[in-house]
Amino acid sequence: MNSLWWWALPVLILPILWHRQKREQTKSAPLASARFLPVAQPKQLRVWRWSDPVLLLLRCLLLATLIALLADLVLPWRGDTVLVVPGTAPALVDKEAAGLKEARRMTLPDRDAVNWLHAHEREFKPEARLLVVGDVAMPATLPRFQHAVVLRSQAAAPAGVERHVAVFSGRPDAWRRLFAAPAGALRYVVDARPGPKTELIVWDLPEAPPAGIRAPLWWIGDARVFPELAKYKEAGRIRYADSARGRLWTMETWPLAGDDDAADDARALLAAWQRLQYPPQPFTAPPQVLTADAKAPAGPAGGALRDMLSIALLVLFALERIVTHVRRR
Amino acid sequence: MLDSSALIAHTARLDLVIRHVLAGLGHGIHAGRERGAGVEFSEYRAYAPGDEWRRVDWKLMARADRYFVREAERDSHVAVWLVLDATASMLEPSRAVPELTKLQYARVMLACVAALAQRQGDAFGLVVCQGERAHFTPAARGPRQLQRVLAQLNRTDAVGTLPGSDTLRASLHFSPAPSVVCVAGDFLDWPSPLSEAMLRLRRMRHDVRALCLQTEAEVQASFDPALAYRDPEQGSQVFRFGRDVRAAYVRNREAHFATVVSDCRQNDLPLLCARIEQAPGEVLRTWLRKAVRA
Repeated sequence: MNSLWWWALPVLILPILWHRQKREQTKSAPLASARFLPVAQPKQLRVWRWSDPVLLLLRCLLLATLIALLADLVLPWRGDTVLVVPGTAPALVDKEAAGLKEARRMTLPDRDAVNWLHAHEREFKPEARLLVVGDVAMPATLPRFQHAVVLRSQAAAPAGVERHVAVFSGRPDAWRRLFAAPAGALRYVVDARPGPKTELIVWDLPEAPPAGIRAPLWWIGDARVFPELAKYKEAGRIRYADSARGRLWTMETWPLAGDDDAADDARALLAAWQRLQYPPQPFTAPPQVLTADAKAPAGPAGGALRDMLSIALLVLFALERIVTHVRRR
Repeated sequence: MLDSSALIAHTARLDLVIRHVLAGLGHGIHAGRERGAGVEFSEYRAYAPGDEWRRVDWKLMARADRYFVREAERDSHVAVWLVLDATASMLEPSRAVPELTKLQYARVMLACVAALAQRQGDAFGLVVCQGERAHFTPAARGPRQLQRVLAQLNRTDAVGTLPGSDTLRASLHFSPAPSVVCVAGDFLDWPSPLSEAMLRLRRMRHDVRALCLQTEAEVQASFDPALAYRDPEQGSQVFRFGRDVRAAYVRNREAHFATVVSDCRQNDLPLLCARIEQAPGEVLRTWLRKAVRA
């Protein structure tokens, strides 16, 4: 879509025409006795000469830069590259990239190598060979690229992630049991008092919390303690409101308040938190060789030259204004 | 006497030029009917710059501590009319002498005639045909009139075409008293309102003298063939000069001026064709003598 802007290049004709000097007649001099001479056809000379060539050049460059910026100019400049998913062991990279010794290695911003490659594919030269090493996220469909891409994916052991939770409740054991339940790579650490790492505070006490405590999320047992919950919004069975201390969640019948049957509600709360806060990790893509597909759609915005083009545009604009001003004086 | 017309191009001071041109050319256009200044005393008048010192009354000056000039009773009945064609074609430059144009030359000639008329005590006036109008300076005597006429001549720029015959008829309508009409122009338009007016004045028994100014290049038909030419007074047509059209140019031009000369001769109107590269003093003398002979 952006490349349609290249059709705006004929705009460059405008400054060229403006700067072109007017058509000149054959040089004629006044002669009083010209009436005794035969009439000649006046000769028109089209003179392709420009006034203010510097200004013309600046204006043309300005327009060309603007169009290039709008068209999101991408120059293929990357050669053979080994794309490394972050967190991959260097030994593995060395082993897989043995055939591409001189290739440049670059670390991808995240696991989604296919998406990144799709966006930046225009930056690679047509003959570039691409090797992706590491725990590559599996895309929903088989990716198509204009380059041949070798995927050497290997699932990485999930790193243990800790979430800190503080519980203030009359029944702390029940909450501890809830958080102690295995949840894959996740592990919940129940702290006695909230710290800066605390992501959740369970407040199941009838009195208001001390002023200094803050956390991104609060689970409130008694809604009367927090006046902000008077104006709650409802999503499913969870009522929520925002306060200065963080987001507050509560339910009509608070789980783990009376009997153990309500533990399901508590698990639902936990599941909702996990779902909202921590999306599921994609599977690892199987290792494979993606053959080059010339008809594969080009990626969207490259943006590689956007900063340079913007600065050039600014500089050219300033120069153009200065030169115009100088010429007027 | 000014030997070279190149000097005309070098100064804008007409009074200086005419002093040089008129050096040794003291005799006037016509035989004055009166004897010179101060024959019959009429009145005293305040001195004006340009008055001859010998006409200042020194006794009166000693008494009054002011300069006074004895004005004599010498009414010459001859009025001299200077007619200058200042149309755009008069800007034609001499292609041999840099910065000399027909207009400058004509200006000097008429200024000299004006100075001569002033020396003789004749009244003189000026008519400038320029830009479809005739600028009229009424005839009068004296040094101030000379200055007025010289200033008017200096101001004159060559633009436009000749005025219509009605305008000229109104401007050149003189009293039946005999007058001298000196016309300087290029006469490239013939017949023209100006030529009709000249012939009409001649038929009215005025002494009309025409000075037709040409350039050396026109006479020799030698122009730069690389350039295209246009008529300064007519349209935007472009003309071409080359070796092939030179003969036609000479033929056309000679035919035109043959008509001019024959018209003048038929009407007994003295016409001098002069090139502006000629020495102005020589041309002036020839012009005045030709007129006297005629």
